[in-house]
Amino acid sequence: MNGEAIDVVIFAPLAPIFGLILFWFIQLIFIEIQKSLLNQLRSSHDALIRFTNFIGIFFQTVCHALGYTLTRSGISRFYLSVDYGKVDPKKKKSGVFEWLVNMFLFIGPFFLPPFLLLAYFFLLSTNGFPLMMQSQFTFAENFIAFGSNLFAFSKDLVFFLGSIDLFHPAHLGFFLLFILLGLGIRPSYIGKRPMEKVDMFYDLKNIRYNILHKPLYLLIGVLSAYIFSYLNVFFGQSLYVAMFSFFGWASILAIFALVYAEVLLFWIYVLDDLPLGFRIINLLVLPISYSLLRVLFYSLSWPFAPQIGFWGSVIITSVVTILLLQMLTNKFKTLFPMNSIRGTSGGKK
Amino acid sequence: MEEDELLNREEVEKILSPHPLSFMGLQSLCIFLIAWGLIFGWLVNFSDFGGLSENALLQIAVWGLVLLVVSVIASIIKVLWRIFFLYLTVVLVALGVIWWLNLFDAVGLFLPVYTVVVSIIGFLLVELFRRSHKYIISNQRIVFKGGVITKEQRTLRYDKISDVNTKQGILGQIFSFGTIIPISQSGFGLGSDQSFAGGGVQGSGSKRVGLFGFFGGGREVQTPRTRSYYELHGVYPFKEIRKMVEQLVQGSEISQYQKQQVDYQEEQRDFQKEQRDLQKEMKDLLKKQQELSKSNEE
Repeated sequence: MNGEAIDVVIFAPLAPIFGLILFWFIQLIFIEIQKSLLNQLRSSHDALIRFTNFIGIFFQTVCHALGYTLTRSGISRFYLSVDYGKVDPKKKKSGVFEWLVNMFLFIGPFFLPPFLLLAYFFLLSTNGFPLMMQSQFTFAENFIAFGSNLFAFSKDLVFFLGSIDLFHPAHLGFFLLFILLGLGIRPSYIGKRPMEKVDMFYDLKNIRYNILHKPLYLLIGVLSAYIFSYLNVFFGQSLYVAMFSFFGWASILAIFALVYAEVLLFWIYVLDDLPLGFRIINLLVLPISYSLLRVLFYSLSWPFAPQIGFWGSVIITSVVTILLLQMLTNKFKTLFPMNSIRGTSGGKK
Repeated sequence: MEEDELLNREEVEKILSPHPLSFMGLQSLCIFLIAWGLIFGWLVNFSDFGGLSENALLQIAVWGLVLLVVSVIASIIKVLWRIFFLYLTVVLVALGVIWWLNLFDAVGLFLPVYTVVVSIIGFLLVELFRRSHKYIISNQRIVFKGGVITKEQRTLRYDKISDVNTKQGILGQIFSFGTIIPISQSGFGLGSDQSFAGGGVQGSGSKRVGLFGFFGGGREVQTPRTRSYYELHGVYPFKEIRKMVEQLVQGSEISQYQKQQVDYQEEQRDFQKEQRDLQKEMKDLLKKQQELSKSNEE
């Protein structure tokens, strides 16, 4: 057995798994950043926090219910509120079924809602989702194939987001769903009093418990992945990497959604310094400037009218926000010019 | 509330009106109209559906049909046929205007603009309706006022409230508003859900033997439901108001401890009465004794 054979048999199946874990971890970090932003907004935007929490609880509860449905446990009770969700099965199953339901509950919310968005994006995408064909099936090739698949998808997604036409109902619907997913992929807290904070460590602890509680099931899962990988090598197919790429795409979609949602939250956070009237004016600048630019460039038959409309409105809104902050608040101002302070305190000139 | 409307020793605790999002049921009818207007405008003027942009009659048919189908579905779900007739009126008025002004060449522009304008008018009407509500919670009663043209008012004393029902939807949970329905002892504040099932069988043989049967059944469930004028509809902040109302209702009722106190006081009163009667009897006896001794001395 030469070195390449050992690579294919032992290491190669791990490549897409590592890749997926990496992207999922990036997703977790972005969720944590969002939680921190939401915490900053908690005192002044209680309704917004409850809204984002509701979306998170909704996804989590739906994933839990899906877990019970797929394991044929049935659902006897489905309760959903702004701060709490609960699903009770008709038949309480133990063993591998219970483990699967818990995996749906703990990992499902990271991937299942982005899958919905992925399906929507597939309908809007003009190129489909290209997959790299493989020939060697080594660790390096599996890793490169996984990366290439994700790169091709990301390129399509970035192009789509950059040229999104909000006057197109399907694009608008995608954009709204995209923001909703970004705002509430995970809830911030569970329960009224006492509130259980849902952060990165909460999720990781639950997943670790579920894995260590029944390590045999994890072993079976990994073994199944290896067998699937060997079958792919045997038949010369790239489905093994494609399967993980599918999860990777969901992760990338979620990361982009989180970034957009974080920009939105940051904008709301920044606007808090302005008086109410100016805050409303500032919030209206985005849709009004977009509509005007979009109609103007459409009527002039300019190329890239949707792109100019979207990014032009984003730039106009940013400039207006900065100007309002400078004029109406103490942001971007110091009492004395910085150079004069450096001069008097003996600092560097 | 005017000063002269207040009763003796009455103090106003809170004056409330429904939350701006509490009439989302009505507002969603307008939201759908605005969304459909924009989608239709895009379909006809910007999209690649060439056939639709050329044929005015097809445009009218698609526009009207979608509105009517959605209104039928909404009416069935909400069991409220007013929605269907409302949308039917919108469609008929549009057809009338197109025919009257001969706008067949500009349907692609007129229909989206008309739909958006109608939805804006709808929003304004819903807002007017919302603002017509006023709920006054005093230490003695709740006064419900409302009505855009015809003014309605309901007064409910706390001692007449037998039950307090509360409702809070998802929007209410997010924005902290909810509906409180005080149910009076006479059952005011209760509605009913009715369901009915029926079926018929008809058979006729070749020898003119006919058979017809009909069977059916229905059931009714009483549920807290009333018009927004007669309930504390979508009040904010919900939890505080609910607590206040429940405390005022409880305060108007005699508690177990107070009942025991009253019973004890009644016992005391009876006992004191007996004592007084006894004292009176004693006095009479004493008087008689004195008279007897006086007569004996004489």
